[in-house]
Amino acid sequence: MADLGVVTKALLAIARDTSDDRVLATRICRACVEGLDVDGAAISLLTARTARQTLAATDETAELLEDLQFTLNEGACMEAARTGNPVLVADLRQSSSHVARWPMFAAAVLERSAVRAVFALPLQWGAVNLGVLDLYRRKPGALDDAQLRDAIAAADAAALMMLGLRTEPDHGGAAWLDHAVAYRAEIHQATGMVSVQLDVPAAEALARLRAHAFLHDQLLIDVAHDVVSRRLTFTEDLD
Amino acid sequence: MDRSSNEREELASRAFVTLADTLVDDYDIIDLLDRLVGFCVELLPTDAAGIVLGDARRELRAVAASEEAAHMMELLQLQADEGPCLDCFQTATAVSVADLTAASDRWPSFVAAVEQRTDFRSVHALPLRLRGRAIGALNLFGEVAGLLPQRDLALGQALADVATIGILQEQAIRRGEVLGEQLQLALNSRVVIEQAKGVMAQYAGITTDAAFERLRSYVRSHDLRLSDVARRIAEKEFDLTEIIPPSTPSRRRR
Repeated sequence: MADLGVVTKALLAIARDTSDDRVLATRICRACVEGLDVDGAAISLLTARTARQTLAATDETAELLEDLQFTLNEGACMEAARTGNPVLVADLRQSSSHVARWPMFAAAVLERSAVRAVFALPLQWGAVNLGVLDLYRRKPGALDDAQLRDAIAAADAAALMMLGLRTEPDHGGAAWLDHAVAYRAEIHQATGMVSVQLDVPAAEALARLRAHAFLHDQLLIDVAHDVVSRRLTFTEDLD
Repeated sequence: MDRSSNEREELASRAFVTLADTLVDDYDIIDLLDRLVGFCVELLPTDAAGIVLGDARRELRAVAASEEAAHMMELLQLQADEGPCLDCFQTATAVSVADLTAASDRWPSFVAAVEQRTDFRSVHALPLRLRGRAIGALNLFGEVAGLLPQRDLALGQALADVATIGILQEQAIRRGEVLGEQLQLALNSRVVIEQAKGVMAQYAGITTDAAFERLRSYVRSHDLRLSDVARRIAEKEFDLTEIIPPSTPSRRRR
């Protein structure tokens, strides 16, 4: 039914036993370079609070792009992380509203590399920012419809995989949230409720929900339903 | 329906003016869609309205509903698998069902869910259409069996077109990007809003539906962006006493 792009298919085929976020990020980046018409990819973590960190880069140029942004404190990837919006720049040499917002980054990229186009896609699950997928191309030009669709679907799948890994209870099991379940309203509502009950960030609240589902051999959606209908309240010593 | 056509025309033009006003520089797409489904219920002889959008995998996701009641969002979300919205989305043409009880062969689980949770009898799905393709659908539910008159359908389609324009801002349409950045943002904003509803519901001891009503009236009366405020609430960087005054005795004591 869903019309999966080639990259999304490749991502879904990635072994579910990936237990390390750098390994997972590296595989996601490679799948993007192989499946999309881009020359390199990187995934960085850069939320407002946590330290900036590049998890994976397919080559030195991809790594340079990340380093430049962190050093200059501006750029496509930082903007994507801040706004939660994809940032698509077809040609860094052409003046655009994007380039005008981060002139130092654009100038530095053109001076120090052969990169002409950058596409930064935020990896997010609601208010939870899981990083940014950065793609670059030496040839200028926009992603066409199919490529953009594929890239966004890949970022979507990558976000759920990163989220799955980060909220994975220690006991193993499926390594990521099912796409159909991940967008059920009650799961988001329960995440918000548990984040207040335990005074923890949303990602951790989701981790607790998943751990509870695992321990009690329940479906995540059923646990979420119990929380929203107030049959289940999380406390520090629950589980 | 006993409304005079003059009064209705006036309401309709006021709705379009309001929607056009929303389409300013930095508009909030979720807020626009939320207002739009509200206008559908006001202007059309329909009891509930919702909007679903196709994501990058062309799977439908619910983004706005005239009632935030959980069953309404679920009815929309269910149609990712089957239902009038999915048919409308795939064919990019309107799907009208005068009486759902006669449609259980066509969409068994959708019709069962409608019968179990609501009093709806009729359903219309109008495409959010762009160059022959649908990017989503506007869903109208009625508690009386029967089809909407042609002029109501035309007005409904006009509202659906406003939604399309809002989502694929003019610039994106010119560039030919069917799946604009805006669409992705709208889909994620929906998740943020649900997370924020949970935070508010837990904080104030109210239902998630009531939480949304508070949130909506707060952002409208303060002229703020719905998705911005929801994000700050979900990140717990928003002082909720602004929206929910600590008036209940148990809170005042703290």
